[in-house]
Amino acid sequence: MKTIRFSPERVSIIARNTLLEAVRQKLFSFLVLISLGMILSSTFFRDFNFGSGELKFITDFGFGAITFFGSILAIVATAQLFFSEIENRTALTILAKPVFRSEFIFGKFFGVFLVLLFFCAIMAVSLAGVLYWREGELTREIPDAFADGRLVAYGDIFIFVFLQWLKFGILAAITMVIASFSNTNLYSVVMSFFILIICHLQYLARDAWEALGVLPVKLAVGLLGLIFPNFQLFNLGDQIALGERLPGELALRVALYGLVYILVFNAVAIYSFRKREI
Amino acid sequence: MATSPSSKPPAIRIEGLTKDFALTLRGLKLRAVDNLDLTVKENQVFGLLGPNGSGKSTTIKVILGLLEPTFGSCEIFGIPSNNVRSRMDVGYLPEAPYFYRYLNGEELVRFYGRICQVPKDRLEDRVAEVLEWVGLKDAARRRVGTYSKGMLQRVGLAQALVHDPRLILLDEPTAGVDPVGSAEISELILKLKDAGKTILLCSHLLAQVEGICDEIAILNRGRLVLEGDLKSLVSERHRNAVMVENLPAGLEKELGAWLEAKGARLVGIETPRTTLDRIFLEHIGYRKEQGSSRQVDENIARSDAGKPEAS
Ligand SMILES: Nc1ncnc2c1ncn2[C@@H]1O[C@H](COP(=O)(O)OP(=O)(O)O)[C@@H](O)[C@H]1O
Ligand SMILES: [Mg+2]
Repeated sequence: MKTIRFSPERVSIIARNTLLEAVRQKLFSFLVLISLGMILSSTFFRDFNFGSGELKFITDFGFGAITFFGSILAIVATAQLFFSEIENRTALTILAKPVFRSEFIFGKFFGVFLVLLFFCAIMAVSLAGVLYWREGELTREIPDAFADGRLVAYGDIFIFVFLQWLKFGILAAITMVIASFSNTNLYSVVMSFFILIICHLQYLARDAWEALGVLPVKLAVGLLGLIFPNFQLFNLGDQIALGERLPGELALRVALYGLVYILVFNAVAIYSFRKREI
Repeated sequence: MATSPSSKPPAIRIEGLTKDFALTLRGLKLRAVDNLDLTVKENQVFGLLGPNGSGKSTTIKVILGLLEPTFGSCEIFGIPSNNVRSRMDVGYLPEAPYFYRYLNGEELVRFYGRICQVPKDRLEDRVAEVLEWVGLKDAARRRVGTYSKGMLQRVGLAQALVHDPRLILLDEPTAGVDPVGSAEISELILKLKDAGKTILLCSHLLAQVEGICDEIAILNRGRLVLEGDLKSLVSERHRNAVMVENLPAGLEKELGAWLEAKGARLVGIETPRTTLDRIFLEHIGYRKEQGSSRQVDENIARSDAGKPEAS
């Protein structure tokens, strides 16, 4: 008797096909171009004429562009790639094959995760490139400020973008959970943006309510903080200010935090998709 | 497998299948399939017929585990439909199929072949083989987004067959296909049957079904209204037709009297008619044997040949 079990190979076939579809869509290239444009344009706002200030400005501006457009990409691409399968009825053909629903969800997720990896890689390399170039120029113009050598911590930029990639992964997995039970693309996108805001702001609620000290409220807020990941943890950008180095242990802890949420939300998406009528 | 033929499970067994769709949140429901029992034996062409909306596609989707039954159960070769394993030996052509537009025909069939874990060393040959079978050899390198309706059905058939399944479910395989294409698909279905496959065919084009089905079931509003062996259903056993060439005028009476003397009765004399389908096919120059070697959209394929591939 033939048997069948979960196959990472099938997951990767579906993921690669998803990546291919994403790259063929205009959204991806549009967001890449616009983010690149922002990173490059940051070198034209030169209000500061003292060297290190400008580098900090470019870094902040670049991080902002990556975070903003990456979040949009994570949500919109996930919903788009999921619903294109449902609406075009290609999900019908795939799921009528010996394919587990979990393989389908994982395949879609990893496809999007790869898209996000490309996005983050392109952004990190161009941001580092722009910084390197400006730093070189500034070193020539005002050698005194750079007496101790280069100021920008390039390694930390890549670590920061890597952590952003994990955050986008959580966001994609959350969008997948919503898409797995909802009927329309638009609803999934709107809901996901809503949750994105909660994830960014939940620490405020925690701080405010925990001060109150009432147990039920504390528990409720604690639960909320458990369900919705705290995206503020990924905002290590400020720590990558000049000179300071990102504590490696902290980065590792945040990365682990991200991975756990990615896994959990994928599991929830699979559970909710398990009995969906195609 | 060492099971004796008598204990061998049928290709499809459906028992007491009911499927409700919730129409509103308040609980208004539509019963798409109503207490259906059906058994499809191996190696036959089974026609699932019925008007639009009678529940044919819904039944197929339940068989494939794409929809959960409200009540009842479904099995494929003895394995329950909710088990992924039941889908290892099934090929499915959806109604009005649609595929990834950005792949070409060959890439698409290869994609599904890999999903079905066709062994790597056989995959390329198999892809070429099924594309040739369905008459898409010349269009294999064209993007699926440029395919006509008939070609989509063909590439859909190719992906359904790529892993050489024992059971093939075809939902309206000839909808939107010209008569020549339909005739070729009919022929392909019969070839599959000769190769030992079981085919469940959904259609409302009765004339075509009549030519190829062994057994049929008719659904109406989700209920089974008729089921049985096609030949015995359509033949009128107590009547015979005699075909005569050049019957002289005035002989009818004599013939009638002669028959009456033998205890039979002449019911009528009429000129046999061919079908419009057959006339069409004759005038198009379609012959059965050459059928599957004809490539679709020949003229387009040929004018493409000189140009570099735009993919
Ligand atoms: N997802 C669905 N939600 C609600 N009603 C549906 C759904 N799918 C099919 N139906 C209804 O079920 C009935 C049977 O549909 P279907 O099985 O597609 O018929 P057929 O294939 O015989 O034309 C129709 O009335 C159709 O409107
Ligand atoms: Mg139908």
